[in-house]
Order: sequence, then structure tokens, then C-alpha cells
Amino acid sequence: MVFSSDLVTGLLSFLFTILIFSYLIGDNPLFRIAVYIFVGVSSGYLAALTWWQVIVPRLIYPLVYGSVLEKAFTAIPLLGAVLILMKISPRLAGLARIAMAFLVGAGAAVIIAGALSGTLLPQIAATINAFDLSAASARNISVVEVVFNGAFILAGTVFTLIYFHFGASPKADGSIRRLRLIEISASVGRIFIGITLGTIFAGVYAAALTALIERISALINFIGNY
Amino acid sequence: MSDMIKCPSCAENNLPDQEFCQYCQTRLQPLTDPLDGADAPIKPGQAPTKKNTAELEPILPQWLRDARDSARKDDQQATQQNLQQPSQLKPASSAKDLLAGLQSQAGDDEEDDMPDWLASITGVNSKPIKSQTESFAVRWVELGGKDDFAKDESDGSSSDLAGLKSSEPQPDENNEVRDWFRNLGNPEQAQQPEQSDSTDSDLPDWLRVTGSQNEKSKSADSADHSESGVGEPPAGIISEEAESPSDSPKPNQDKSFEWLKSTVPATSSREEIPDWLSNDAAVPPAFTAAEDESAELKDAQSNGISDRLETVALQSPSSLTAVEDEPSGGISDRLKAVEFQSPIHTESEEKTIEPAQDADTLGWLDTFQAVSAYQPENSLAQVDFTPLDFAEDFQASDNMDGLFTDIPDGLLSTLEAPPSSLPTADTNSEAIAPDDQPSWVESMRPVDSDISELSSNFPADQTVESSGVLAGLSGVLPSGLGFAQMSRPKAYSTKLQVSDEQLAQAALLEQILAAETAPVPIASFSVLRTSRSLRWFLAFIVFVMITIPLFMRTQMFSLPVGVPMDVNGALQVAQAIPESAPVLVAFDYEPARVGEMEAAAAPMFDQMILLRHPHLTFISTNETGAILVERFISGPLAVHNYQSGIQYLNLGYLPGGQMGIRAFAQNPVVTSPFDMSLSSAWDSIPLEGISSLSQFAALIVVTDDAEAARTWIEQTESARGAIPFVVISSAQAAPMIQPYYESQQISGLVSGLYGGALFEQYNAGRPGSARAYWDAYSLGMLLAMALVLVGGLWNLALGLRERVAAGETQ
Repeated sequence: MVFSSDLVTGLLSFLFTILIFSYLIGDNPLFRIAVYIFVGVSSGYLAALTWWQVIVPRLIYPLVYGSVLEKAFTAIPLLGAVLILMKISPRLAGLARIAMAFLVGAGAAVIIAGALSGTLLPQIAATINAFDLSAASARNISVVEVVFNGAFILAGTVFTLIYFHFGASPKADGSIRRLRLIEISASVGRIFIGITLGTIFAGVYAAALTALIERISALINFIGNY
Repeated sequence: MSDMIKCPSCAENNLPDQEFCQYCQTRLQPLTDPLDGADAPIKPGQAPTKKNTAELEPILPQWLRDARDSARKDDQQATQQNLQQPSQLKPASSAKDLLAGLQSQAGDDEEDDMPDWLASITGVNSKPIKSQTESFAVRWVELGGKDDFAKDESDGSSSDLAGLKSSEPQPDENNEVRDWFRNLGNPEQAQQPEQSDSTDSDLPDWLRVTGSQNEKSKSADSADHSESGVGEPPAGIISEEAESPSDSPKPNQDKSFEWLKSTVPATSSREEIPDWLSNDAAVPPAFTAAEDESAELKDAQSNGISDRLETVALQSPSSLTAVEDEPSGGISDRLKAVEFQSPIHTESEEKTIEPAQDADTLGWLDTFQAVSAYQPENSLAQVDFTPLDFAEDFQASDNMDGLFTDIPDGLLSTLEAPPSSLPTADTNSEAIAPDDQPSWVESMRPVDSDISELSSNFPADQTVESSGVLAGLSGVLPSGLGFAQMSRPKAYSTKLQVSDEQLAQAALLEQILAAETAPVPIASFSVLRTSRSLRWFLAFIVFVMITIPLFMRTQMFSLPVGVPMDVNGALQVAQAIPESAPVLVAFDYEPARVGEMEAAAAPMFDQMILLRHPHLTFISTNETGAILVERFISGPLAVHNYQSGIQYLNLGYLPGGQMGIRAFAQNPVVTSPFDMSLSSAWDSIPLEGISSLSQFAALIVVTDDAEAARTWIEQTESARGAIPFVVISSAQAAPMIQPYYESQQISGLVSGLYGGALFEQYNAGRPGSARAYWDAYSLGMLLAMALVLVGGLWNLALGLRERVAAGETQ
């Protein structure tokens, strides 16, 4: 009997699928065995990937085979890496702050700039342009649909933002409540939030259901093939 | 101001009736009881108790013992000579006591070398002392310096005694003879200098203290005396005695008066003056200026001998008789020595004694009246003698030898006065023997006048002190004020005494506090928990509903009809890319989502590869992305037989997260120079001619995370240019990515199995995984919808029932 790689792969997939499904009866050793194996394999894989995909091509190769300019540019991240390794020693941990400061500063700059130019400003513009009839006609969208979509998006945005407005003032009866208009708008905004969360839940359920279907299909295929 | 009490602590003046200092609260009045008996203080005019200090003889310095021995011998010889030649006075033989030696030595050196105290004793006016010729020898004798001992050992006799023989009268001193001294003729008073000298030789502490207290008044006092002659130091008296032996008693008498002037103000009040002194009540009160003294002197001369002197003469007739009969024999040898070295008497005239006695007596009486107003300004020699000593000398003039041979005791021997004339102190023989204390210790006893005021405060405290300076004194140190009157504290009941009304109010307050602290039950909501059976039941239903279609490979549910705009956009991109165009594909999803992601992405890539044969370049910001790429190529796209490095290239893992994506977007060649096999990526066929992100025909991001999609959208916004951007996402991330499609930041969006099923409809009927999963997926979704609906209805029914129950309850 020849054990093909597909058979071994199929058996391992079937076995670990059953071990993970055992979580239906609660936390059990079979589930833990599967989890520990995944963690171990993932760690080994990450170590190999880091060596072969990061250190060797992006550090060793430029230092060994690169030009002088490449070596000079590579020395900077090398110095940063060495400084970060100083965190191993509590006495020299302070040296790592230089590299960490550079990473945090550069990362913050990249994230903020990307968020502004890639999300915030375009989304504001998109909300404003929801009533752009010319753009809608260019996309073969009727005016009524554009107005309705635009109004719906605008209402959803405004009411959702109003829902998170918690400013209130004391009333004559001593109670502290928001304005009546704010209360109504917040209630409408709560509906939008509910719909959004329901949509997200449906997406999560659809994703999980698809994964379950794929696993069961794989099991059925494995059983059917062998 | 003389009545003011100067505080010993702050030196501020206070009223005499104040017990505490008004500035520093220091006690001004001592807390001592009056002394009784032998412990009583020595009052002015009181004769001290004779004490035997023979046991102290061995501790005396050698020079003093030698002086004492020589004094005894000389005294005996002088007595014999006086008996044989009563009219002759030999100055050399008078050097038998210590002070006599001092006087003689002073005569050798110069008068200027004599210290003030000695000058005041000898009657010589004090002059500015020369530093070079300061008579240290005198001080050595007084203080018992080591040099003095050396002299005793070498010469065998003290320098003082030697000075007695070599001293001669100084002509200059003749000018200093005073009239009052010349007028002195009472032989009884000639004994006073001897007592003074003997007292000096004994030099008790109280005498030194008194002398130090009066030092500052010496100069003024001497000036006064120089004019009036009343207060002239006794040295002058003694000097005149040497020239005129017949007048020798006068200066003695006058000297004794001077001593009285200095002694009485310091220690006694008028009430304490003995009877023999009380006859001077009519004496003028003050002695403050030389003019007054001169006037008083004239009055004294006119009045003659005072009654007091008469009384003294009556009290000691024997001594007076002895002096009158034997003027030279009645004078001590010490006085003779002083006489010999004091030349001022060389010009003294043979005057009658009576006028001089009158003048001296009156001067003495005048100063006696100045007790309260004139206290400190007296010379040391003037303070030496008390009236007691003076009186005793009259009575015991025949016992002069004992006076000088036993210096401490000699002073005490004067206390043996007749009880009729002198106040007798009560002795406390049980407390302490008087002989146990030397004379100078006894002199340190508290003065009766100081403690008399407090004696009445502690009448019952008669505790006898057993040690220290106050040994033998009773009631000096009280045990404490108020302690003797301590009594048992009053007993109070610890039971709280309250009325019924107060008890009722306390009970009400207690109830209020108890109500505040009592726990109040809070309405709790039952936690809705999924039961294990329900969970297993639902799991069973889902498994059955999914497994059956998959196992039976049913196609009960048709694929979705219609293409949403986002999916349509992705479809257009897939169909619009150029032939064999380079397409950058980012694989950023977890292996757990591989079933969904492959089902969603495979139809698009299948169509795209089938139609355009693009060159795919895969990169991943997820560690497992590179492996998933290989799985994707060898799995769903295996039918296309894409070869790595030819049709596709796997750049592998892109580290750095958002910064890595940003760097890759700006310069992909530098950021990811190698592929998975560490070969140069940008020289390979899939990336031929590509050096920037904008040169790719399309950018496709396959991710199950909305954050990964957002990162790619944001960081490549400026670098990708106008290339189409399609996102293939999981169904769970689609709602968050949808706005980017609405904002036209991405060209198309394919989400989940639903999007894959849509794409499969445009693949020319090629079966895909979406179709295989669609029935199971549809049943699963229906089941979920049903369960959600049933669950909602169940909760609604429970809510209605609770409301009905609540309404019925109300």
C-alpha cells in the first residue's frame, strides 16, 4: 500500500478537523493537542520564514553581495536591530529606545498620513458626493436612487453620530436628559447601528458557515476518495 | 533701687516682694526652710560655734603648717618678752602669722606691689598696680601656690616670715596716717587686726566670696576713706600702732568698725542686730559720700564714746584691762609685724585716746546705720569681720595664741561669747555634729534672713538633710508643695444617667441608622445561558443540514441572480486587464479562512486567467500568505498550470506591516528584491519591465480582514495611480470594505461565497467550489434565519408572558 502525500495530508486534515470539532463538548485534551500542534508548527514556520524571507534576502545578501551604497543603507537597519536586541540585557535595555523610537515615530507618521489620505478625507468626500447626480449618471444610477441612497447614507451617518452624543442638561423635574430632538435622532441612529451590527454578524456567520462547509466537504471528499 | 532684687538669671531688677522674676519667671525667693539649731545660719553679731579642726591639720600645706608653728613659738616668746618688757615693742617679733608675713614682704618689694585686697587690709591706699612688680608671692601665700611650697622646702621658712625681718618702715606711708587713726587709743580694739589677719589666713570661702562681691566698690570706697579717714583700711591703723604702741588699740578699734561697716549691710537687718549693737539705733542712716563721713566724724568727736563701746567694754572688762595695762602685750604679734612695716605711724603724735575713740566710734556707727543703702562698696578686709568677731576679741583677748595657732578654730573660738551679749544659736546635735564641718563650710550655710520668709510655709517639713552642704539642716528642701494634701479621688459612677426621653430619642436614631445600613435587595436579571443540550441540538441540526447537501451533492438552490455593482466592478476589472498583463495580488488572510477565500477568489482568478492570462505576482503581509499562495495556485487554479517564475511569482512575505506596504508602494524593487527562492524577482518574467506599483495592470487584495484591506487602500493611495483595485474579502469583512467601493477608492469588491458564486456564473459554466458549497451554504443560512426568527419569537413570547404576569400582579 502506497501512502501518497494526498492521503497523508487528507488523514492529517481529517484528524485535526475532528480534534477541533471536539470543542463542541467543551475544552478537552484532544482540542488542546490540536491547538498546541498548530502553535508549534506555526512558530517553526515563522522562524524559518523570518530567516529565509527577511534576514537572508534583506540583510545578509545586501551586506555580502551588495554595493557600497547598499551596504551602507543596510547597516542602518542592522544597527537598529542590534539596538533592539539590547533589550535582552536590562542594563543595556535603554539603548533599544533609539530604534524603538524610530519605529514608533515612523509608524505613527505612516498610519496617520495613510488614514487621512486614504480613509478620512475620501470618506467625507464620498458622503458629500452621494448626492452627485452627474457621478450617479456616469455609473448608470437613476436620480431617485441616487437621492434615496444619498439621503439614506446621510441619515445613517448623522443619526449614528447623534447617538453618540451624550450631552444632557437637567430638567425641571430634576432628571437629566438629552434634548428631545437628540433623543429621537439617537433612537434612529441606534437602528442604523443595529442594522450594521446585524450585517456584520451575518457576514461572520456566512464566513464561518463557509469554512464549516469547506471542512465537511473536505472530509466527505477524503472519505469518498478513500 | 536698693530694695530691688536682681534676678540671678536675667539680671533684671524686680520688686522685693516678688517671688518670681517678671522677665524670665525665675524664682527669686528660695524654697528653703529656716535653719534651726546648729544648722542655723550665722547671723550678724552671732558668734560661730567653735569647732575642732585639728583633724584637718595634716591636709594643710607645709608652708601653712610651718607658719603656724613659727607663730606659736613666736607668740610664746613674745608673751614672755612682753611680760618682762611690757613697754617695748619689737616689730620683728610680731611676724608670727601669715598676713604679717605678707605685709612684711610687701614692704620689701614696694607698696605698689601689694594687691588691693591686701592694701585694704593693711590700710595702705591702693595704687595702680604695676604689672612687673605684682606681688605674686602674696598670692602664692594666699592661694597656696607651688612656688610657695618650694620656698618652704628650700629656705625652711616662708618668704612672708622672711619679709618680716627685712621689712622696714617706709617714709612715704607716714603721709597716709589718718586722724581717726591717730585718735584711736583704745587698746581693746587693737586686737581686731589680729582677728582680721587670722581670718585672712584661714581665708574661708564665704570670706572670699564676700570680698569678690565688694571688689568693684573698693576704689570708690577707698577714695571716700582717704578723705574722711573713717573707712581707711586697717593697715594704716596697724602701721601707726608700731610707732606709738600706746595708741595701738585705736586703730584696732577703728578697723573693727570698718569691718562692721562692710559686714553689717550685707548680712543683717536692724532686727537681727544683737543687743550690744542695738544701742546704735540713733546713728545717722547713710554712709554714701565723703562729705557725710566728715560731718559724722565731727559729730562723733563731739559725742564721745558711744554707748555701744561702753557696752562692749562692760562685757569684756578683762580684755580691756589687759590692753590698757599692757598695750603692747595685748596686741598680737601679727599686728606688731604690720606695725613694723607700716611707716606711716612715724609721724603720728602722742594723742589722747578718747577723742580718737569718739571719732572712730561715731564713724563706725554712721556706717552701721547705712545697712540698707550701702551694701556692696566695701573692701575685702572690711567684709572680713563681723561684730561677733569683734566682740569676741574683746572677750578673748587673752587667748590670742590659740587664735593664731589654730587658724580656722581661732576664728571659731570667737563664738564663745557670753550668752547675755550674743545671740546663741540652737544646735542640732542629732542631725550633724558641728565639729564635722570646718568653719568655711559653716559659713556657707544659708543666711537666716534669706530663708526666714519661707520658714513659715513649710512648718511641718522638718526633714534633716544628711549629706552635702546642707547636711544637718532641716526643712531646707521641702518635699513638694501640694503632695502632702493629696486625697483619694472622688468616685464617680460610670453608669450613664439618661432620662426616658433621651432613651427614646436614642432608640429612634439607632433605628434610622440601622435602616440606612440594612441591605436592600436589588432586582436582578436572570442571565440567559445556552444549555449544553441546546448547543448540541443546534450543532447537530447545522451538521445535518450541511452534510446532507454536501454528501448528496445536491443542487437544490440556484446560484444568485443579478450582479451587484461591487461584484460587477470586479468582473469588469478581470475582463478589462490587458493580455498577460502584470497583476499584483496581495494574499493577506489566515489559513482558517482558506475555504471561504478560495471559494470567493477562485472564480475571479479563473475567469481572469482564462480570459487574459495575466502574470500574477503574489505578495503577502501575513506570514502564512506565501504558503497559501502556493496552495491557491496548486489547488483551485491547478487547472491553469501556472508555473512559478513564468506565469506567476511569489514575492513571499512583506515585513513591516503598514510601513512595509508603504515602502513597497513607493519602491517595490528595493523593498522586495527577491522571490521565495531568493532569486531576483524584478528580473523575472512576471515582473519584467516593472519597477513601480503603478506599472501593474491591476491590484487585487485577497483578505479576510477589513484592516488589511484598509491598509492596502490607504498606503497605496498615492502610489498606485489609476490602476484598478479589486478587493476579494471574506463575508465578515465586506461591510467594512463596502464604503471604499462607494467612495470609488476600489474598483470592485467580491465578498465571500456569495461573490464567488456570482463570478462563477460568468465562467462559461465552469464548475467551481462555489456551486458545490452553495446548497449547504443556502441551507445553513436558512437554518440560521429560522433559528434567529424562532429565537426572536420565543423571546417575544416570554416577554409578553412576563408583561401579562406583571399586569395581573398589578
